[in-house]
Amino acid sequence: MPRPVEKLVSLTINGNEVQAPAGMMLADAALKYGDVEIPVFCYDAKIGPPVGACRMCLVEIEGIPKMQAGCSVAVTDGMVVHTDTPTVKAAQEAVLEFILINHPLDCPVCDKGGECPLQDNAFGWGGGLSRFIEPKRHFEKPLALSPLIAIDRERCILCYRCVRYSQEVAEDFQLVLEERGADTFVTTFDGHPYVAPFSGNIIELCPVGALTSRPYRFRARPWDIEQAGSVCTLCPAQCNVSFSVRDERVLRVLGRDHEGVDDGWLCDKGRFAYQAIHVDERVTEPMMRDGGELRPVTWELAIESAAKLLSHAGANTGALVGGETTNEEGVLLTHLMRETLGSNDLDSRPGGALDLELLRALNAPKLQASVPDLQYAHAVLVLDCEPVDDAPILDLRLRKGVRHHGVKLLIGSSRPSALDERAAHSARFAPGCGEAFAAALGAELAGQSSASLAEAAGADPADVVALATQLREAGEEVVILWGERLTAGPRRNEGARALLNLADQLGLNDRDGAGLLEIPSGTNSRGLREVGVLPNASIGLGDAATVGRDAEQIGEALAAGDLSAVILLHSDPLLDQPSSALWQRALGKASTVIAHAAFLTPAVLEHANIVFPAESYAEKEGTVVHPDSRVQRLRRSIARQGETRAEWALLAELAARIGNDPKALTCSMVSARIFEQVPFYAGLSLDLIGGVGIRWSEREAAASFPAAPAAPFTLDAPPAAASPNGLLRLGSFRSIWASPEVEASPALAFLHPRQRVEISPGDAARLGIAHGENVTVASNGDSVTGLAHIRAAAPDGTVFLQTSIPKGSAALLEGPLVEVKRS
Amino acid sequence: MTDTLLFTNIDEPGLNTIDVYLARGGYEQLGRALKMEREDLITELSGSGLRGRGGAGFPMGRKASFIPKGDMQKYVVCNADESEPGTFKDRELIQKNPHQLIEGLIIAAYAIDATINYIYIRGEYDQQADILDAAIAEARERGFLGEKILGSDFSVQLELSRGAGAYICGEETGLLDSLEGKRGNPRLKPPFPANEGLFNGPTLINNVETLSAIPSIIKLGAEGYAAIGVKDSSGTKLVSISGNVERPGNYEIELGTSSRELIYDLAGGPVDGRAIKCWFPGGSSTPVLTADDLDIGYDYDSIAAAGSMLGSGAIIVVDETQSVVELAYKLAKFYSHESCGKCTPCREGTAWTFHMVERIKEGTATPMDLDIMAAVQEQIIGHCLCVLGDAMAMPIGSLIAKFRDEFEAEIETNRNERERKLAEEFAAAEVEIEGISA
Repeated sequence: MPRPVEKLVSLTINGNEVQAPAGMMLADAALKYGDVEIPVFCYDAKIGPPVGACRMCLVEIEGIPKMQAGCSVAVTDGMVVHTDTPTVKAAQEAVLEFILINHPLDCPVCDKGGECPLQDNAFGWGGGLSRFIEPKRHFEKPLALSPLIAIDRERCILCYRCVRYSQEVAEDFQLVLEERGADTFVTTFDGHPYVAPFSGNIIELCPVGALTSRPYRFRARPWDIEQAGSVCTLCPAQCNVSFSVRDERVLRVLGRDHEGVDDGWLCDKGRFAYQAIHVDERVTEPMMRDGGELRPVTWELAIESAAKLLSHAGANTGALVGGETTNEEGVLLTHLMRETLGSNDLDSRPGGALDLELLRALNAPKLQASVPDLQYAHAVLVLDCEPVDDAPILDLRLRKGVRHHGVKLLIGSSRPSALDERAAHSARFAPGCGEAFAAALGAELAGQSSASLAEAAGADPADVVALATQLREAGEEVVILWGERLTAGPRRNEGARALLNLADQLGLNDRDGAGLLEIPSGTNSRGLREVGVLPNASIGLGDAATVGRDAEQIGEALAAGDLSAVILLHSDPLLDQPSSALWQRALGKASTVIAHAAFLTPAVLEHANIVFPAESYAEKEGTVVHPDSRVQRLRRSIARQGETRAEWALLAELAARIGNDPKALTCSMVSARIFEQVPFYAGLSLDLIGGVGIRWSEREAAASFPAAPAAPFTLDAPPAAASPNGLLRLGSFRSIWASPEVEASPALAFLHPRQRVEISPGDAARLGIAHGENVTVASNGDSVTGLAHIRAAAPDGTVFLQTSIPKGSAALLEGPLVEVKRS
Repeated sequence: MTDTLLFTNIDEPGLNTIDVYLARGGYEQLGRALKMEREDLITELSGSGLRGRGGAGFPMGRKASFIPKGDMQKYVVCNADESEPGTFKDRELIQKNPHQLIEGLIIAAYAIDATINYIYIRGEYDQQADILDAAIAEARERGFLGEKILGSDFSVQLELSRGAGAYICGEETGLLDSLEGKRGNPRLKPPFPANEGLFNGPTLINNVETLSAIPSIIKLGAEGYAAIGVKDSSGTKLVSISGNVERPGNYEIELGTSSRELIYDLAGGPVDGRAIKCWFPGGSSTPVLTADDLDIGYDYDSIAAAGSMLGSGAIIVVDETQSVVELAYKLAKFYSHESCGKCTPCREGTAWTFHMVERIKEGTATPMDLDIMAAVQEQIIGHCLCVLGDAMAMPIGSLIAKFRDEFEAEIETNRNERERKLAEEFAAAEVEIEGISA
């Protein structure tokens, strides 16, 4: 559904005339436009429509005999509201007295004390006395609702927020209320712990101390901490967060509601992986390999050695840049590589260099959809990605769109999606065949025959027809949410062309509320590309003077001895790159491996000569670009831990020591340089970006985006998906929990994935494999083991394995076909 | 008193089977209704003045006229979750004359063009559910339900759904949630079910008795039906008279009949010539009236004018031998047990009230507690999400207001009794406490 048009109405609140958008709930309108606070407990606009359960917000509206719940009355023209009459005050005092009769009032030992809506409301609107002398309700307390959340049912005021969140926002359907009346309590449906990708949001939603964070319990009181706003860089969703900082330590992460980015939610990785900032496993001092082992060294020795090694390797240096790199670090790295060492062999895309023209076409400002577009579009096509793993918070946004705005959700993916049950139609294709699938869809929309293309994609031709019909009939505003894997691998350019053709068929260019939205492989992939951290592009996606090697070619060149040194900037190729075998060879052969890393992940541990400690995202300053083109700002929230130094400064220092000082005295100088040099960022400044970011594609300077070829492109016939012939097609995915930060966070470690082998019930029966059994997946003599995970929705003939895990990653296997058997 | 409408032939053996029902002219009115334009049918229902018999007394035809026109799926839901203490009229209607209800329901469904319809029956009505099931099957077999019934263009389905024993599922939106397979909790209104009800579709919810009255309206015509009863309370009403009377039971009466006539003439009044202490005019959730109110007419407006409600038409008579504290205790226990817990005033207020009455019984209350108890009732009334909270607060509030002396006397008696027992216990245990002696 297209966005509702805002129409202002006039109403009177306590005698003052107030203008507010029609349809807005009175409690919101009063606060936002009338500066009148109507107290609430159960209501929060972001959970969805009001339920009017707590009755805290009763107000008088002229013409309506009974008092109304301010949270659930939409403002209308001419409405006359009173929130301060004796009747209203009596109702507020009554409700607060009722709420407090069973509340333990253990504020002095409650984590919520000091930042508690119940305290605030009791202070602001309560009568101050209780006449209740009966025994209060008792429950066992506190209990673990999950390894992450403690529940204290005595403190619970039964506002229903957490249950509604679980049922209507996260749609994990785990939290329920049991019993009734005053005996009601919150629990999980099956009595098992509440483990879900977004469970932590209920802690923040709870208006009392009934749901508390177990990692944060008793770590601080609100007056001990300071809040510091920044951006979470653990995935491309780039949610806006606020760090609770005490004595230069991050003790907690809270959401910093941003309708354009995260809609006020965080995933559990974003909420709890801050723990990895303060663990002993973190690298917080420079290290060098000495006698085969990495040992701490002084900064001087590390920098001097690195400068020497890099000078020596000169143009024979390659660089892999990981997604957590900021634009500033990216630009300084290109300075170090291109202008200092004379090498163009640097890449931030793991899937191989994409034709620059196509990259420009895909990133063209008029073709970019925004995150809120996902919520208001007529239809969203999720293509070759799994939002809950790849950019978790978008999963919630899509659910919201379907639930509240009638968005028609369509899915085309290899692996079954968590969103399938919310989708109007889901289609499966063979792993790696996104190109053929997109081409089939494009052909069908163009009125051509799609059957042979669908078959080449390993998809059911009827599915392609059904998706195309749905897309055609949905309405004009269509967003394609696509995964970078569609434009990775040997057929990447064809994948991009097929996608652009599809967008062209749907007329997505220059249409408000429609467009493409990529989920890239790395957090700041978009920014890194735009500042030229690519082998074939200069800053601002300009033509590269000399085209260098892409990631795979760097690996091959290292393995062949054509390159001798490699810089791994927040990148572990054994976790991030598609082929582990290649990178084992490459790193084994490289004489110099310089890593900037926070953790000793496999490649760093085994191969790095020099390791520089990487800043955590709470320590970093700089800018990143959200996949929907929003330039966001990281702000340093705590002191750098241990010996860690600013990485932008380190990169500048390295270049200076080698003889080409970039003259960057502060990080903001580098930011300013980027805003000058990227034509379509022109006029940006850190102030302008501020705390909420700014979408460059919506600014006038976007007109300076380099011209790109226009669809339709001629497509050649895609290769047919491999026929299993008794084997299984190998598909891979990166779990939301596959990250060194999750592994290092004590609270989250239980979620860090071990390999699991996802197969269909049909294949499992054929191969005699039972759920949970140990199985081996093998190809060409390589094998990995994992636990069999039979998924009813998995297509026959395909097996899915995880990548980016330290042991037994899918990257160890070469596809497209593998053999699966019981270990 | 006119002839009976709802209870015509009610005690005829086999009336619950379709053959007998047909032989008594059953489903004739459905045939007539199907020949009418929908608009005219709704006008007819409105013109009859029939008010909802479930408790709220909202004009039935007006409710039907709120149902939007259009292609969306619409529903008629029959509320057969008869749970109000003292009310047992729907049970008899379902048990003895289920086809009358089904006929009325199909007419209502036709009026609003609802092709999918439900009867939600309380879990405890096991036998009645079986009877209804059988009757629905018969109606389906004879073509009164199904595709293009009686040669019209109207196709209609009817399903029976059984509750699981919650009073709150008699509240119309709680019923809808339960019917949808959710926890039975009331919903926020608006949106009203007429706009957004079952599965978000426009829904007409009516009580068993309301729907059962429809065939009579078609038969008599709006004017004929409206001629029965008094102004704004037309037609006949089933009253379930229970409590301290000689002849408890269901009686069909013309609205406006004097309450004294109902309690004394029909039900025989209290035994042994005892005096009436108070009576609930419309189920246990209505404010009590006293012997002084016996001469008012039994119709919606007169009862309202006396400060109570006609409710479900369940008259519970309490004679002078009964304790008001015991009465309050039973009410508070019932409603706190049945509170769904969704909204604060009802959840906490009913439980608090129950604890206070419990203390009166235990002998640990003081007259001051009565003030608190009365205040708590005030704090509940008008503040809740649905009417359950009020359903306890109104009768208890009225009991305290009207029988405060009795409450105070009983508080005193129970305190003395408790202290005497304590003193005995202390004496037995040879504990000496100043000021307390056996």
